[in-house]
Amino acid sequence: MHQLSKPLSPRVTIATLIFVLGCLLSTVRILRDAPIPGHVHTDDVAKNSDQRFAALKAALPSHGVVGYVGESGNPIADYYLAQYALAPLVIDRSPNHPLVIGNFPASPPPSPSDHLQLLTDFGNGVLLFANKDAK
Amino acid sequence: MALVLPALLCLASGLALVCLACPRRGPIASDLTLRASLSVGYGLGIFSLVFFLSRAFAVTNLVAVDPAVFSLLLITFLLLRNRPRTPSTSPPPTETLDLPRWLQRMLTAAFAVSLCAAVYSAVMRTLTHPHGDGWDAFSIWNLHARFLFRAGPYWRDGFNALIPWSHPDYPLLLPAAIAHFWNYLGCDDTTVPAVIGFLFTFSTVGLMFSALSILRGRTSAMLGSLALLTTPFFVELGTSQYADVPLSFFVLATISLFCLHDDRGKEASASRQPGLLVLAGLAAGFAAWTKNEGLLFLCAILAARVLILLRPEIRRDPSRAVPRENLPRENWIALATHLVAVAPAFLLIAWFKHSIAPPGDLFSDPATAFHRLIDPTRFWAILRWYGKGFLRFGHWLLIPGTLLLPGLYFATGLERTRRPQAGFRSSVLALVLTFAGYFAIYLITPYDIYWHLRFSLTRLFLHLWPSTIFLFFLVFPCGTAARRR
Repeated sequence: MHQLSKPLSPRVTIATLIFVLGCLLSTVRILRDAPIPGHVHTDDVAKNSDQRFAALKAALPSHGVVGYVGESGNPIADYYLAQYALAPLVIDRSPNHPLVIGNFPASPPPSPSDHLQLLTDFGNGVLLFANKDAK
Repeated sequence: MALVLPALLCLASGLALVCLACPRRGPIASDLTLRASLSVGYGLGIFSLVFFLSRAFAVTNLVAVDPAVFSLLLITFLLLRNRPRTPSTSPPPTETLDLPRWLQRMLTAAFAVSLCAAVYSAVMRTLTHPHGDGWDAFSIWNLHARFLFRAGPYWRDGFNALIPWSHPDYPLLLPAAIAHFWNYLGCDDTTVPAVIGFLFTFSTVGLMFSALSILRGRTSAMLGSLALLTTPFFVELGTSQYADVPLSFFVLATISLFCLHDDRGKEASASRQPGLLVLAGLAAGFAAWTKNEGLLFLCAILAARVLILLRPEIRRDPSRAVPRENLPRENWIALATHLVAVAPAFLLIAWFKHSIAPPGDLFSDPATAFHRLIDPTRFWAILRWYGKGFLRFGHWLLIPGTLLLPGLYFATGLERTRRPQAGFRSSVLALVLTFAGYFAIYLITPYDIYWHLRFSLTRLFLHLWPSTIFLFFLVFPCGTAARRR
């Protein structure tokens, strides 16, 4: 089987040209939205997770489950950064564990309660509590 | 430098598998690009499986396992290298879209500029977001990789319901492949997920280019690759360290390999070319091992192949050079080959879902899900979002790519006479079924439907976008040439 090509009509040529130009428009967006060399600001994930929890990590067991208390405003973001930094420890968002992490990056930590006893304040809003009542 | 040796081992394993199963086809440059692009996906898939199975069976010495796997693939390749192969009698692809020279040059320049822009953007984004761009990168994919790597024998700890929203039931192709490289490095270096994301992104482009080039010629290949490279969201998501672009890669690999196989079926009995079917089946399995949506695609492609291959009119297809009475048997063999290739990944996923992962969140309450399924307001909401998403998901500038393709189709007004191959028809059907499956998932979602649509619909569209472009350019230019026997 072989093919015999016939010349393209101007309509096909124009349609293909518009298609190529339409695609190139979005290349402009790709370039425009890309960070500019020399002005690359690395995001804060490492700073807010691995670096912030490095000292706490050294004080915790290598695996298992620990509790977690945090701020009430936007807790899920802070929680994930803690979980990401402290893996393979499992961070349960509950104070019902013998060891409980306190994560208060934006507000002062709560005063120790009856069941949560402050073990270490690592600074920067990172604390470690012991829960006397937890089994 | 410590990354170079495992990277070479990974790519070599993928290449050995691809060369083992994929006969040489088309121009040498296209054939090499196809093999190189596929090698990335298959190599990472193999690395993922090896690492996950070593964790599951408490094997610690990966330095011995990886060369053993590679040697096994290499020996099999060398043993089968001299087996009699059906010679390829198909002529090299003739350009079916003869553009004027100036437009051809412009297209080449546009392709080169877009490729450079995409690479530049990918590198800069990776430098800005070394842990991934978006929550899913470190709350799901890289978190799972850290559990697999850091926890040693306690790796199962990471896959329990105590960590909310980490989706512990998600499959592990990406996390396990990342953890495998970390195991060689001895630390969880952010370079690894970044490089893997980069490789999947540009291998998808390479795969599209080479498969279209083999099947339809260089012009179609460049037009298709240009459409993909100039989808800003594809480049953004590809470097976000999410699993969506890897899934797009495996969906495209499955579909393009089926199309290559069925196109080749014109000239030789398909039952003699099981390699492409095996690779397609493995790719579908890897898709399912990448994301839950891949499992849906796996079921869709199986159903589509059964429906298309076993339809009675296929037996009367005069374009197949196989004796009519042999066709049903040949098709059954093709289906069986595909099922056998899919089986390992399917069994692995079944074991993971049954024995390790907690139940998924989508099917937690079947009774309520049924009520949602028949709620017309949810149908309407999803339809509206599908309509909006169709025009917006790629983050295009001014003209959506989803309008450019049909615009090109209708504006050219070309005569289309050629009946699509079974590979094309089954692929289209599989994409439609997957699309419908996504719709059904939104219907039954236990979450707020608008929230769910807002945070996932664009990514779901992107899963199918490279394959849609591929299938479009597979049939688009056929009418420009008068075919004669």
